[in-house]
Amino acid sequence: MIDQTELIKYFLLESEDYINTLLEGLEDLENKGFSQETLEAIYRATHTLKGSASIVKFNKIATLAHKLEDLFEAIINHEIQQDTSIINLVRRVVNSMINFINEVSQYNEEKSELDSNIVNLIDEIIEKKIILQTEESQDIYAPLPMINSVRVELGLIDSLFDILGEIIVQKNIISDREKELRNLVEDILKSGKKLFNEIISFSDRYWLAPLGEKTKVLDTFFTDFSDLEFDRYDEYHIFTRKIAEITNDINEGLNELISFSENLSSNFKTLGKEIITLKDSLLSIRMLPIGRLLNKISEAIKDTANNLGKQINIEIKGGDIKIDKPVFDLLYEPLIHILRNAIDHGIETPENRLSIGKPAKGNIKLLVRKEGKYVVISITDDGKGIDIDRVKEIALSRGLLTQEQMHYMNNEEILSYIFVPGFSTSEDVDFQSGRGMGLNIVKTSITKLKGTIEVYSELHKYTTFLIKIPQSLSITNLLIFRSSDLEFAVPINYIEEILTIEDFPDVKSEKLINHKNRFITVKVFSELYFSSNGKHSEKGYIIIFNFSGIRKALLVDDILGQEEVAIYPLGKFLEGLTQYIGYVLSAQGTPRFVIDPVKIFEEEFVFTISKPLTFESTAYIGTVLIVDDSISVRRSLQTLLEAKNLKVYAAKDGLEALNILEEKTVDIVITDLEMPVMHGYELINRIRKDIRFKDLPIIVLTSRGTKKHQEKAIDLGADGFLVKPFDEKTITELLSNFQILKNQIY
Amino acid sequence: MSEEIREEKHFCVFGIGEREFLIPKESVIQVLDITKIFPIPGSPDYIVGALPVRGKIIPAIDLAKVYNIERINYSENKLLVLDVEGEKIGILSDITPFFVSFDKEIVVDDYLDPKKLYEELKIKQPSSNKTNENLP
Repeated sequence: MIDQTELIKYFLLESEDYINTLLEGLEDLENKGFSQETLEAIYRATHTLKGSASIVKFNKIATLAHKLEDLFEAIINHEIQQDTSIINLVRRVVNSMINFINEVSQYNEEKSELDSNIVNLIDEIIEKKIILQTEESQDIYAPLPMINSVRVELGLIDSLFDILGEIIVQKNIISDREKELRNLVEDILKSGKKLFNEIISFSDRYWLAPLGEKTKVLDTFFTDFSDLEFDRYDEYHIFTRKIAEITNDINEGLNELISFSENLSSNFKTLGKEIITLKDSLLSIRMLPIGRLLNKISEAIKDTANNLGKQINIEIKGGDIKIDKPVFDLLYEPLIHILRNAIDHGIETPENRLSIGKPAKGNIKLLVRKEGKYVVISITDDGKGIDIDRVKEIALSRGLLTQEQMHYMNNEEILSYIFVPGFSTSEDVDFQSGRGMGLNIVKTSITKLKGTIEVYSELHKYTTFLIKIPQSLSITNLLIFRSSDLEFAVPINYIEEILTIEDFPDVKSEKLINHKNRFITVKVFSELYFSSNGKHSEKGYIIIFNFSGIRKALLVDDILGQEEVAIYPLGKFLEGLTQYIGYVLSAQGTPRFVIDPVKIFEEEFVFTISKPLTFESTAYIGTVLIVDDSISVRRSLQTLLEAKNLKVYAAKDGLEALNILEEKTVDIVITDLEMPVMHGYELINRIRKDIRFKDLPIIVLTSRGTKKHQEKAIDLGADGFLVKPFDEKTITELLSNFQILKNQIY
Repeated sequence: MSEEIREEKHFCVFGIGEREFLIPKESVIQVLDITKIFPIPGSPDYIVGALPVRGKIIPAIDLAKVYNIERINYSENKLLVLDVEGEKIGILSDITPFFVSFDKEIVVDDYLDPKKLYEELKIKQPSSNKTNENLP
């Protein structure tokens, strides 16, 4: 449970505001007369004050606020005459509340007794609808408790963050410069040492060499001495000695420079640490314990449950974990939505629960925990759970999924379709044991918070929503990658895994990988926005994103690392580039555009979402039957052909293909040769034997490119030959040969 | 007549290829030497890229692409930074921009209204695919 003193602190802060609103409102009523606007303002203030007081269980303040609320309501509705004589009474109540608030601030509890006279008086007034004269109350209010805090606009803190971000960039640039300086100094030091050594060895050698007869000493200092009095010096000696001395001085200086630059870098390290502390404490300024939010929500939810005749118990754990104020504000709606759903559709009525052996009281658990820089909120109810079969049915009937797609999806992935817009369209739709609408809105809100939401459920047992959001919005954890020699960043929250291209050599052509028994479509980043993909880098990484259970992959050239930075918005001029969330600057000041993974894969979502149920529609320009035992071949070919507005049927062996041919009209067959149950040769043979299909074009698709295979297939009646791996162009050409794509516009 | 106060308008002149344009002096906030421009993948071709300036980026616009002007050489590239309602945008100039003043009455040719230019060249949000996004 959340720390009570913490809550009281917030209550005191809030109550100060409400009391001030009340006092100002009363002044206005008295001086400017009764206006509906003022009345409503003070009515709202008492209402909220009542709510906040009851959360921290200050019942006396809550009661007084409640009475005032009733009184104001009656005045607003003109049930009671709008007369200034009422103000004295209100003042007394307010004063009484202030006294309680003062007690709370001193002792953390309401000490004195509630003045029942006032309460009764208000009750009487409301009942009899007349203003009873009360004795003049003093016009002086007791002062509100001194609270050692100031309220600051979030915008101010945000601008501090901007400045801090700038400081960090500058610091990084200076740090880099400092490294350059160190390298420079080290280089100079090396050369200096070399020079010094050269000089020393030269002078040593020269020292030992005998002097030639002809060398004359010019320096008068030396000529004043006789040869016996002094070592024999000539100009070279003096020169080398001087050089040696100078070199020594330089060396000395260089050593000082080295220690200077060492000091400098340790200073920079300290500065760096201080900046991080500054960032953290700045962040903590706008952090609030999530328990405040959860308490508020659970109060509201208990009301809902009561109204529906359901009994619930709410368990909150981890309420002391703090989150950023903007996150805090934006979480309210989605959380309350999920909880309302849990009560509306999840928790059964007490009778129902007892009859199936559950305790009458439903249990809702709100668990909050920290995972690094993220906060994970799990909301579990022990209600009906979600019926996966109903989800499948609805997904099918709304055309969100096909049977075939479901075939290779696990329950978790299918369940995630409840978040898809249009999954259910009306508030009343309650898919048996599931949840109503609005989950896509929940998801949108969570996505705005750069968070993720997942759902787990077991029928008749439980439903869990797992929300993962960053603790703070201003600093984002980014993965930096390179593509086509440019650097980009992507928020790390959706990233599940990073694979190397070596394990998936065909990914560039197939745009599909089979990873952990999941088929994941891959987008090649360099092909998204660059028309020329000139040089193909050998290196490559596949970033796997997990969007609430739906996985997508992005192929990039190189991964450069991870960074925690503040993202700058692109500004109004560029904001149309919705594929970017904003940009960050590298330590060197190079801009890196931060891609929005949701946008990158958006059309795919839209495609699955809005695909209408027009199976036999005439909108298609032709119908193709694909026969292949490899699901990835079927899938990729299907995607490719569907993009060309062709209706595609798929079969995994010859027999299935014949069945489809019986039922559907097909314009062309593309078949593999090696397949289980009935192989391709036999399929071709059977098709050709059937008089109905004697002119049906058949293309053989195989990895066996030898002449022998080709000839055999052609002998049996195949019309074309396609060797795996295939590319789009070949297929398009082949299909146009058979008049299938004759009108194609691509 | 002699005491008449002549009101003048101040312009900044910049050039692209053979052409010269005028823009009100008030909207020009600085002229930068172009060191390195970083391309913005996915942007229209008249946006040649972004120039990082003091921790922020300024989009660089090549009006040659907008007005179909042929360039003979890329001699001296400068970026004219404009402030349009608090937003900074940059326009490439092949010459070093200079300032001129004209009598208020004179109608100048090749005059560019920064606000209009901004609105015209601003990247529009894709209108489709937005339906589900903005639901309350």
